Amino acid sequence: MGSQKKRNFQIEAFKHRVVVDPKYADKTWKILEHAIHEIYNHNASGLSFEELYRNAYNMVLHKFGEKLYSGLVSTMTSHLKDISKFIEAAQGGLFLEELNRKWADHNKALQMIRDILMYMDRTFIPSTHKTPVHELGLNLWRDNIIHSSKIQTRLLNTLLELVLRERNGEVINRGLMRNIIKMLMDLGSSVYQEDFEKPFLEVSADFYRVESQKFIECCDCADYLKKAERRLNEEMERVSQYLDAKSEVKITNVVEKEMIANHMLRLVHMENSGLVNMLLDDKYDDLGRMYNLFRRVPNGLSTIREVMTSHIRDTGKHLVTDPERLRDPVEFVQRLLDEKDKYDRIIGSSFNNDKTFQNALTSSFEYFINLNPRSPEFISLFVDDKLRKGLKGVSEEDVEIILDKVMMLFRYLQEKDVFEKYYKQHLAKRLLSGKTVSDDAERSLIVKLKTECGYQFTCKLEGMFTDMKTSQDTMQGFNSAHGADLGDGPTLAVTVLTTGSWPTQPSITCNLPTEMLALCEKFRSYYLGTHTGRRLTWQTNMGTADIKATFAKGQKHELHVSTYQMCVLMLFNNADRLSYKEIEQATEIPASDLKRCMQSMACVKGKNVLRKEPMSKDIGEDDVFFVNDKFTNKLYKVKIGTVVAQKETEPEKQETRQRVEEDRKPQIEAAIVRIMKSRRVLDHNNLIAEVTKQLQSRFLANPVEIKKRIESLIERDFLERDNVDRKLYRYLA
Amino acid sequence: MRKEDTVKLISAEGFEFVIDKRAAMVSQTIRNMLTSPGSFAEREHGEVTFPEISTTILEKICQYFYWSLQFASGKDTEFPIEPELTLELMMAANYLHT
Repeated sequence: MGSQKKRNFQIEAFKHRVVVDPKYADKTWKILEHAIHEIYNHNASGLSFEELYRNAYNMVLHKFGEKLYSGLVSTMTSHLKDISKFIEAAQGGLFLEELNRKWADHNKALQMIRDILMYMDRTFIPSTHKTPVHELGLNLWRDNIIHSSKIQTRLLNTLLELVLRERNGEVINRGLMRNIIKMLMDLGSSVYQEDFEKPFLEVSADFYRVESQKFIECCDCADYLKKAERRLNEEMERVSQYLDAKSEVKITNVVEKEMIANHMLRLVHMENSGLVNMLLDDKYDDLGRMYNLFRRVPNGLSTIREVMTSHIRDTGKHLVTDPERLRDPVEFVQRLLDEKDKYDRIIGSSFNNDKTFQNALTSSFEYFINLNPRSPEFISLFVDDKLRKGLKGVSEEDVEIILDKVMMLFRYLQEKDVFEKYYKQHLAKRLLSGKTVSDDAERSLIVKLKTECGYQFTCKLEGMFTDMKTSQDTMQGFNSAHGADLGDGPTLAVTVLTTGSWPTQPSITCNLPTEMLALCEKFRSYYLGTHTGRRLTWQTNMGTADIKATFAKGQKHELHVSTYQMCVLMLFNNADRLSYKEIEQATEIPASDLKRCMQSMACVKGKNVLRKEPMSKDIGEDDVFFVNDKFTNKLYKVKIGTVVAQKETEPEKQETRQRVEEDRKPQIEAAIVRIMKSRRVLDHNNLIAEVTKQLQSRFLANPVEIKKRIESLIERDFLERDNVDRKLYRYLA
Repeated sequence: MRKEDTVKLISAEGFEFVIDKRAAMVSQTIRNMLTSPGSFAEREHGEVTFPEISTTILEKICQYFYWSLQFASGKDTEFPIEPELTLELMMAANYLHT
């Protein structure tokens, strides 16, 4: 009673009533024993709890606890032995039901007995370290029923038989199953494990070993995976329905091992239906299934990843090295993009957007894109194509998507500086010919390149845009200043290009027609008048002209030609026929350019404003040219393109490559100096590693080249070798 | 109060105390009597006879049950016990597991 602790009482030893009757204990026990019998016989309604409790209480109080306890054990044991016989006698399918029913009875009886004997549970049992009544009841049940020789194996076999029947598609009594399994679990986890779980797992392993063998012989990969997935789900459902939750991991492990891990390689490489075929046919569901199943077993995902990687590398390698594909750069890049899209979709929808798979995809692309040294050029050509015409009528968002994809390919490139070279060339052509479709798209790509590679990478590209803008302003100024006195003569549009920003080749200026020459002089004096200290040189190889021409029969056309072609055509204002030599002399156009420009005017059907003798496909030194009086074209405006090789020719390629190599030298040197300036002293290998790392965003530096640059810097007294350790470099401020 | 919610406690001398079941269940022993599965007489009739507890003690015990219910809800008061009852009360408390 709660409040008594506050009063200070001297507690004296309690004197028990002396038991007068020597038969007291026996008599009292008889009453209790009788009660236990009645309880087991469902006859408890007449019993008085208070009386039974009081008797048990008094027995314990009067030191007959031991007698009470052992009496309980022997009474309960004898009841259980009877029950055991009863259960053993049950026929076939009734066996489990009988067991279940008796178990419920026993549980209820046990509860009642425990309540009656609560005082013993409370005092006698803890002080003598005996097993509490409830646990005692369970142990006795275990020893006398579950472990009885006639029940133990029969029970196990019945349970396993039921599971097998369920696996074979029959419907079983899951409620009964659940109760029996629950009983085993109540008897202690070791009972559940030893008497059911362990053999269950063994039998399951055998079952799935046989079944998987059967399936793999007759199913294709997708079907097999479907079956495995179904089995796995069935087992998980079984656990949730009537097994211990802790068994889930164990049984799924068995299925995973037998059905997946053991056949993994065979499944992945299965002919006509394995992983590669799934990838080829975009089988998202099957791939997703494979991913989810293989994820469960060790090395499962890495197996998929490796096969996928090597497949992508193989197809990619084929893609970038197949000479057929190299003919059309746009098609080439489009195929790369399609390939990337395909695998992005697969990874997104089937592989759970797994980072490791994305990385594998990226590294595969990096691997094969760089197998072809022309990839940077082709990617730039692809952009060129898109920005020239491909993006017409395409919404702004779609343009962004395409550009983002290109940027992704760009990221894979090791030689980003090569890309820059080509991009510059192509951009220059686009800007000067006014072919670019969208200024926004152009600028957006520049911004993307800038975020990817930094200011340095794009400053020249941006310079080109600035030049275009300034030139427009300049021309406006020029026209408003001189427009009046130009009259009907030719009009001039000049784009002033900053040296260095543009991919200019030093070119010999050709002789312009006199009409033009005067105008050019005017512009030169205007320009130099507003900008002192500058020098202008004409890049006649990059210009274009629009000429109005009247042919013999009076048909008028406006011809859109290059500056070179304009120079040639103007000659025919004063002559009917000119030989190649004469033209060459008059214009001083470099021979290769002149040939191309003559070819495009005399040999292309529909654009042949000139005729030549003899008629042939190629231009010879001895050819003679006339104006083609019979020239006709549906359109008023005729555009005469120069025969331009879109892709670079072999020598041009060599040249670009050389220029790239040349441009890399100062960059490597700069990197070396930067690093040495901060480190002061560094050994050779580390220096090489750091330089490579610093330049990685632009190109993959060749160690031999780095070494050459180091030597050159040593010669120029930027660095010195350490006197003792020759592998060590020292920075000289 | 409905009959199902009360229980009748009968002392050795035959005095009957009808009290709230919730109060009676302060005693673990009485709780078991009233909740044990199966059908003991006490549960069926809703009354318990205590042949070894005198009326005086049982009355005190019933008072204690109600006091304990209140005390359990946070009211901190003392439960007065006359010293001459102490010994018998303690024995009954042990018996009733209170």
